[in-house]
Amino acid sequence: MRQRFITILALMLLLCTGVRAQKSVSGTVTANGDPLIGVSIRATGTSSGTVTDIDGNYSLSIPETTDSLQFSYIGFNPQTIAINSRSRIDVELSEASELLNEVVVIGYGVQRKSDLTGAVSVVESEDLVDIPTQSLGQALQGKVSGLQIIPGSGAPGADAIFRVRGVGTLNNADPLFVVDGMILNDISFLNPRDVASVSVLKDASATAIYGARGANGVIIVTTKQGGDAGAGRITLGAYTGTQEVLRTIDLANATEYANLINEADLNEGRVPRYPNPEEFGEGTDWQDAIFRAATIQNIQLGFANGNEQSSLNLSANYFRQEGIIYGSAFDRFTLRLNTSRKVKDWLKIGNNLSLVLSGSDNINAGGILLDAYRTSPIVSPRDSLGNFNNTSAVSNTGNPLATIEFTDNKSQEYRAVGNLYAEAGLGKFFTLRTSFGLDFNYARNRSFTPVFEVSANQRNEESILSVFNGYRRNWLWENTLAYNNDFGRHHLDGVVGLTYQDNFGEFISGSRSRLIGEDPSFFYLSSGDILTATNNSGVNGGDWGLASYLGRVNYVFDDKYLITVSGRVDGSSRFGANNRYGFFPSVGLGWNVSQEDFWNADGLISRLKLRASWGRTGNDRIGDYNYTALVNSGLNTVFGTDEILFPGSTLTALANPDLRWEETTQSDVGLELGFFANKLQLEADVYRKVTSGVLFRAPIPDYLGAEPAVRNIAEVLNRGVDLRLTWRETRGKLTYSLGANFSTVHNEVLKLDGDRNDFFAGGLGIGGQLGTNSRAGNPAGAFFGYELDGVFQTEEELNQFPTLGTQRVGDLRFRDQNGDGMITPDGDRVVLGSAIPDAILGVNGSVAYAGFDLSFDLTGQFGNEVINAKKMSRFGAYNYETSFLDRFSPDNASDTEPRVTLAGQNIETLSSRFVEDGSYLRLRNLTFGYRLPNTLTDRLKMQNFRVYVSGTNLWTNQDYSGYNPEIFNGSVFDNGIDRGTIYPISRTVTFGLDVTF
Amino acid sequence: MKLSKISALCGLLLLSFSCNEVLERTPQGVYTLDNFFQTEEQAVQSVNAVYNQLRTWQVHVFSFIGMTDIVSDDSEKGSFPSDGFFLQEVEDFEHTPSNVAPASVWEGYYVGIFRANLAINRIPDVPEMDEVLRTRLIAEAQFLRGYFYFNLVRWFGDVPLILEPFPEEFAIPRASQEDVYAQIIADLEAAAAVLPQKSAYASVDLGRVTKGAAEGLLAKVHLTRGEYQQAADFALGVINSGQYSLAPSFTSIFSRPGENGPGSIFEVQAAALETGGGGSQYNEVQGVRGTPNLGWGFNRPSDDLIAAFEPGDPRREASILYVGEVLPDGSAIVQDNPNIVGERFNQKAFVVDHPGGNGNGPGNIRIFRYADLLLIAAEALNELDRAGEALPLLERVRARARSGNSRILPVVTTTNRAELRTAILRERRVELALEQHRWFDLVRTGRAAAAMQALGKAFVEGKHELFPVPQGEIDLSEGALTQNSGY
Repeated sequence: MRQRFITILALMLLLCTGVRAQKSVSGTVTANGDPLIGVSIRATGTSSGTVTDIDGNYSLSIPETTDSLQFSYIGFNPQTIAINSRSRIDVELSEASELLNEVVVIGYGVQRKSDLTGAVSVVESEDLVDIPTQSLGQALQGKVSGLQIIPGSGAPGADAIFRVRGVGTLNNADPLFVVDGMILNDISFLNPRDVASVSVLKDASATAIYGARGANGVIIVTTKQGGDAGAGRITLGAYTGTQEVLRTIDLANATEYANLINEADLNEGRVPRYPNPEEFGEGTDWQDAIFRAATIQNIQLGFANGNEQSSLNLSANYFRQEGIIYGSAFDRFTLRLNTSRKVKDWLKIGNNLSLVLSGSDNINAGGILLDAYRTSPIVSPRDSLGNFNNTSAVSNTGNPLATIEFTDNKSQEYRAVGNLYAEAGLGKFFTLRTSFGLDFNYARNRSFTPVFEVSANQRNEESILSVFNGYRRNWLWENTLAYNNDFGRHHLDGVVGLTYQDNFGEFISGSRSRLIGEDPSFFYLSSGDILTATNNSGVNGGDWGLASYLGRVNYVFDDKYLITVSGRVDGSSRFGANNRYGFFPSVGLGWNVSQEDFWNADGLISRLKLRASWGRTGNDRIGDYNYTALVNSGLNTVFGTDEILFPGSTLTALANPDLRWEETTQSDVGLELGFFANKLQLEADVYRKVTSGVLFRAPIPDYLGAEPAVRNIAEVLNRGVDLRLTWRETRGKLTYSLGANFSTVHNEVLKLDGDRNDFFAGGLGIGGQLGTNSRAGNPAGAFFGYELDGVFQTEEELNQFPTLGTQRVGDLRFRDQNGDGMITPDGDRVVLGSAIPDAILGVNGSVAYAGFDLSFDLTGQFGNEVINAKKMSRFGAYNYETSFLDRFSPDNASDTEPRVTLAGQNIETLSSRFVEDGSYLRLRNLTFGYRLPNTLTDRLKMQNFRVYVSGTNLWTNQDYSGYNPEIFNGSVFDNGIDRGTIYPISRTVTFGLDVTF
Repeated sequence: MKLSKISALCGLLLLSFSCNEVLERTPQGVYTLDNFFQTEEQAVQSVNAVYNQLRTWQVHVFSFIGMTDIVSDDSEKGSFPSDGFFLQEVEDFEHTPSNVAPASVWEGYYVGIFRANLAINRIPDVPEMDEVLRTRLIAEAQFLRGYFYFNLVRWFGDVPLILEPFPEEFAIPRASQEDVYAQIIADLEAAAAVLPQKSAYASVDLGRVTKGAAEGLLAKVHLTRGEYQQAADFALGVINSGQYSLAPSFTSIFSRPGENGPGSIFEVQAAALETGGGGSQYNEVQGVRGTPNLGWGFNRPSDDLIAAFEPGDPRREASILYVGEVLPDGSAIVQDNPNIVGERFNQKAFVVDHPGGNGNGPGNIRIFRYADLLLIAAEALNELDRAGEALPLLERVRARARSGNSRILPVVTTTNRAELRTAILRERRVELALEQHRWFDLVRTGRAAAAMQALGKAFVEGKHELFPVPQGEIDLSEGALTQNSGY
């Protein structure tokens, strides 16, 4: 029995390998006479393929029936060469000096890069795989000019924040995401290894076809298809590694802490509480206690095949990441199936489908981080019996390790994103396409807190379970008719379309206390006491619809003169009845100067293209029902001898039936230059974006008694320069490339609300103090406070200079900006900085030699500031940052750090003391890899075998004292305020391998 | 052939779909102003929403306590020095127009006024409802609007007098105190004419405002205005209505069973439900900070208040909670907190053990007690040279405090107007200590400057009797609002 099985297996293997007659072809591939390594060679119509070795040699076994070979290599023109029964074929590849045929994915179509009139940047898949992350956004940081990626959070599984060309709104500034034609609000489900290319649409000529959603830029993601895989390709990739916190905050040790607290006691008229500070020694490093070295793993398996008739790409991916704070973790399983098939010679159908299961262990990272930051180092985490120590009594903080221990909060998300489409060729020039896409998401969460007691302030008397279940679905139906024709020296293409999109979801949630068991098998509401039951349900993830008409015409004359006209009419359920439809037009012009006869393309400047565009786009993220006055039904009141809760309902905000989209008018002038036969390429854009009608809940006097309506009243300017420089060259066995992108943003509020020019926001957690003021003429969310002028050194200085209220020697001296001899909030607070960087930078380089490859990414931002608000907010004997050690004292005449106190103006008033430089330069990634030579891979029946070691965030140069100066709090008015609650990012080292069969 | 087929198919598909289906949305799970105020139930709910505002943070909790007790000589801020520092500024008369406290109450009271205005404006048009209920609901909203304006006018003097939910013009200047008081009196009189007596309400309506509350508040308004005849008349009317009596025991008033007792004229209802939602933070902010962990420790009774009690007055012990003292419910002993110097707390705002977590205190907020009314009547009668009628009213309050102990709190017998006035005002202070009456009493009787300056505070006469109009409001009013003098 067993023997027979083995026999059959052996037969099957034979069938797989040797059934057809084979022949062998070998040769050398060169460029300019030098051998080329790594050129991909494929037998047309088969799965057979190989790459050249370091001497440019290749050898390939192919079926007898194969009649041609395809040679391809990045940066070179691909060639297909007929075999004609030769056994040796030597090939000379020419560098792709002409980029005319490079194709770029744009909205509702593709275009030759040379025909583009808009500002579009493209990142290809090979540039997205070095950084070990589940997030495409994280992988894109520093890769695209004009695109700022903010990590947002270092929590496992966290998504990144995208900002295209500054922040053109006071509201949600996320760009629109389009994945294989499906329009989405987020791409957290995407596995970066499934991505073939990312197009970043920046100017209006490119984004106007997305109309009311184009103003914040558009990110178009195309996932991998099987099209180029021939008869079959199997890929296997895996990496594993370790993460640790990028940096920690310098905090006082136990002895330093006790000394500072003693001094604060003295300064505030108390008896010093620690008679012998030295006895505490170093004490507890609470950051060390909450952070760990955490693992990260990823494994990907892919199958692809494709030809003229059909294509298939199937991939499975498992990603798992522990958090660098104990208790947090994330994992995700992704399946992708992309297929297409020509069922008739005029009809193609296909689908793109992604199925995702993800799960996370959540912790209250903000509370844990703050407790670690604040808790006195003289307390150890646990006593000798292993019980958690009471940190509350000493420093009025929770014990962060107890918080981790008593948290049991798990989330799962199930998501399906995909579309089905049919494309029919109508005659020679027309293609009709209809596509139906769906994004369905089901999310659940359950959180259990057991009974515990660490201290009077950190305890839970009754166990409690909370659950949440919610779904959201978003469907998109798009119908387009495309035209494409080349006649004579003319090229004309265009598209018109009609689309509908509809988004809705619901959640249901509840909680109960006093569970009958603490095992996870009891984590159901029915296990709790019904008397404690709460429940809720409502709309989840938005309730909106869009009906749109779109169109674009693109005309090219003689490959020289380009014009694109595009536009969209969007009707949105979010707009008020008086403004239901918006029209968003654009026009783009281009001139390929180097195509002109007078141009000498063999000269220094091998390519020159000029382009200019103008257009208008919108932002529809204005809330679903903001046009109407909603009745708030949560205003309950208690009456009766039995103390019954009676429902109360009334209006709490005013309405605005004229509500409409925010409108961005953008002009862009671009220049594309190629030097030295296009080895060096430069792309530069200058843009100016003015967003008018920015939704702003302009404050109205409180005496009106209701929240103001949101109104389209503010105006924001963003202008800047995007630069991209690339150099690529191959010399013999050496290939190297160097790229840099650099972008500047000038962000300015032009107008807020008529005459009223101040809008304060950004609560600092102390006495209602607000940290930002968005005043016309300043950046949105500019930091606003007193400028530090020094420290009062003597009584004479106290008399000489104005004070803020009652101040003493050793207190901060603020600058009297208006010179009126007083320090007042209205007269003397000034702009202290902004969270929006003046410039962002990315530098990418790679070298390949003889099978070895080395690549690096540098990324940085400059000219932004951070408010170190965690240093300000003190409600007890918290630990101090070591910067406090330089405090003013009779022995230390510090002019920057005031005398130490537990409270008071020195700590609580926002001044430049707490504003720090947020610039940084970071070695985002360094990867070193080795590819096995062909002689070996051939023997192993592989096309490719590469191992690599990769380091992410290995080195950072920053002045900011906190974890990371990229502080994103979700609102333009609030960004850059570091309250100490953002999950820090990590330094990661991984080891991986990629195999292709 | 195939071309026409496909075109036909596509045309059919597109036609079958109307964009209205995608674009027309009805807000889910929520009424809009267009479909609200259509039923009796909705009318009731709109007035309930006015009551809801009474137990909010802005109206009767943090800054409210700061601007009534902490600002006065009865108490100090309490808690850590850094905690709620803006109330320290209030205590020290260093508050500026940017201080959070005036802005907070200003906002909270005007939200209440907006809700009352909307109810008063829309309930008359509710299509079908019980007419008795309709007039009562409007009267309740008018009472509450009057109450909101009464506190505002006492804090800020002239204030914008807004009686419509949606005024045409947003820039609204301050109305004179005269006009504001005239409206308060009109609202309260209209309410008094319609509202049922306390005993006429069903038991499920306990906590709704009553005729007695409206007339009692009218007495207080007139007393504040120095209109002693009307003050006496309204107060005596309530006294003679037989609706109220003094609870036998002073301490019992502030316990949970003492809620809505026989002397309760106006009391904000709160309840700590298992599921949250009905509570107030009024007691929590004043509760013991530390161990047992009951609250935040604000509103620390002052030495001056302690000295104001006559020797042996049991109300002193009943009003102030010391470290080492057993809690009124006997559940624990108050421990010393090393981070706070000289802890003591407002015992009337003691936090009892309750479900639903912090911020969900069950304690009602006693706004108007019968003892307050008796003393209003006594004060007004004394000013009308009717000391003989005033003395028995004062004695009723003292007799209850005495609880039969004849060695303390001797009967006041003086009929000298000034002496009796002093006695009545002192009685108000100790009987109503830490119940947020002291500041208004000091200001209305012209004693604020003397009392504050005696304590060495930076009180400026002619300035600090009123709080500053919030700077933000002046900025947003497009020049319509002016600032109080001195700020």
